[in-house]
Amino acid sequence: MRRFRLTPRRIAVVVAATLGFGTAAGFAATLTVGTWHLWAGSQTLTKTTCPTLSGTSSTTDTYVVQSTPGSSFGTNTTMLVKAPSGSQDWAFVRFDLSSCAIPTSGGADSATLSLYVQTAPGSSRTLTVTPVLSSWSGTLTWTAAQSLTYGTATNTIVTGTTTGAKTVLVTVDVDSLIKNPNANYGWRISDGGTTTATTTFGTSENTTASHRPQLSINYEK
Amino acid sequence: MNTLSKTLGFAVTVAATFAACAAAATLALGSTSLSAGSAAVTSCGVSSLSATRNVNNSGDVTQVNVGGIPTACSGATLSVALVNSANTSIGNGQATIGSCSTTCSATISSFGATVSAASVLKYSFAVTGT
Repeated sequence: MRRFRLTPRRIAVVVAATLGFGTAAGFAATLTVGTWHLWAGSQTLTKTTCPTLSGTSSTTDTYVVQSTPGSSFGTNTTMLVKAPSGSQDWAFVRFDLSSCAIPTSGGADSATLSLYVQTAPGSSRTLTVTPVLSSWSGTLTWTAAQSLTYGTATNTIVTGTTTGAKTVLVTVDVDSLIKNPNANYGWRISDGGTTTATTTFGTSENTTASHRPQLSINYEK
Repeated sequence: MNTLSKTLGFAVTVAATFAACAAAATLALGSTSLSAGSAAVTSCGVSSLSATRNVNNSGDVTQVNVGGIPTACSGATLSVALVNSANTSIGNGQATIGSCSTTCSATISSFGATVSAASVLKYSFAVTGT
């Protein structure tokens, strides 16, 4: 076995290394950069389209009539929206989104409500689409409709004076509905005009499928 | 004598080498100095994040809400980038993670541009802070 000899050269190396490393460690210990938190990640989204909702299996609709406040019209094939105040008719429509199976963590990219004007007013009307915030059924009456709560108007529908489908974006309401599916109360369509006019829409019971209310949803999850 | 000189010279050379390394690690932060050094960078406990967003009727993103952030991240900055199908950021924003009890959340309402929700295929997150 070779014997280790402590030569002057070896002593010098040990001393130098000790001094060098000691100095480095001493200065390194004085760094005061601070402790930082750092994390990065991502979440990938999936884009999907819900098949268009339409018909009695997914739609509840009706209208209420101020002049007959105790009557309900939930099985009619048409629904009326009428002005002016004092002799109004309001239409109500909502859709069951359960068939879309959208998770509550998802959200609407776009949502379009389509209503078909079966009988157009003599002059174009601007109808107000207002989210309903409390529960109602197809047997809703004018009297009961006065006790419902309503949100801020979402959008408007300009009827024009010809028949045909009218579409309106309801993305913000459907996005909210996706996140809170138990609060699915649909919309009221009303005419706040001061002149007499009636717009007639097809309902989910309408014999012509294309005349029924429809809701199209593109969403992410 | 000659051997002693060589030994001392060698020792000085080695010491200078280590001292140089030491100096490199201790250059001060100053207006005329260049610094180098290191410090520990740790996570504040985030393992994953997910967001929900709100939109307006046109389908543009109005808010991104991020929840489930560990309380240790309180005071840190959350950055979110909205990324499209080309893996390009089309909007980004930041929020300070506020004080919280069980878990923290943060809401970002400005993205530097109008961003269509339909174009967003990914959220990229970063949490930074002391």
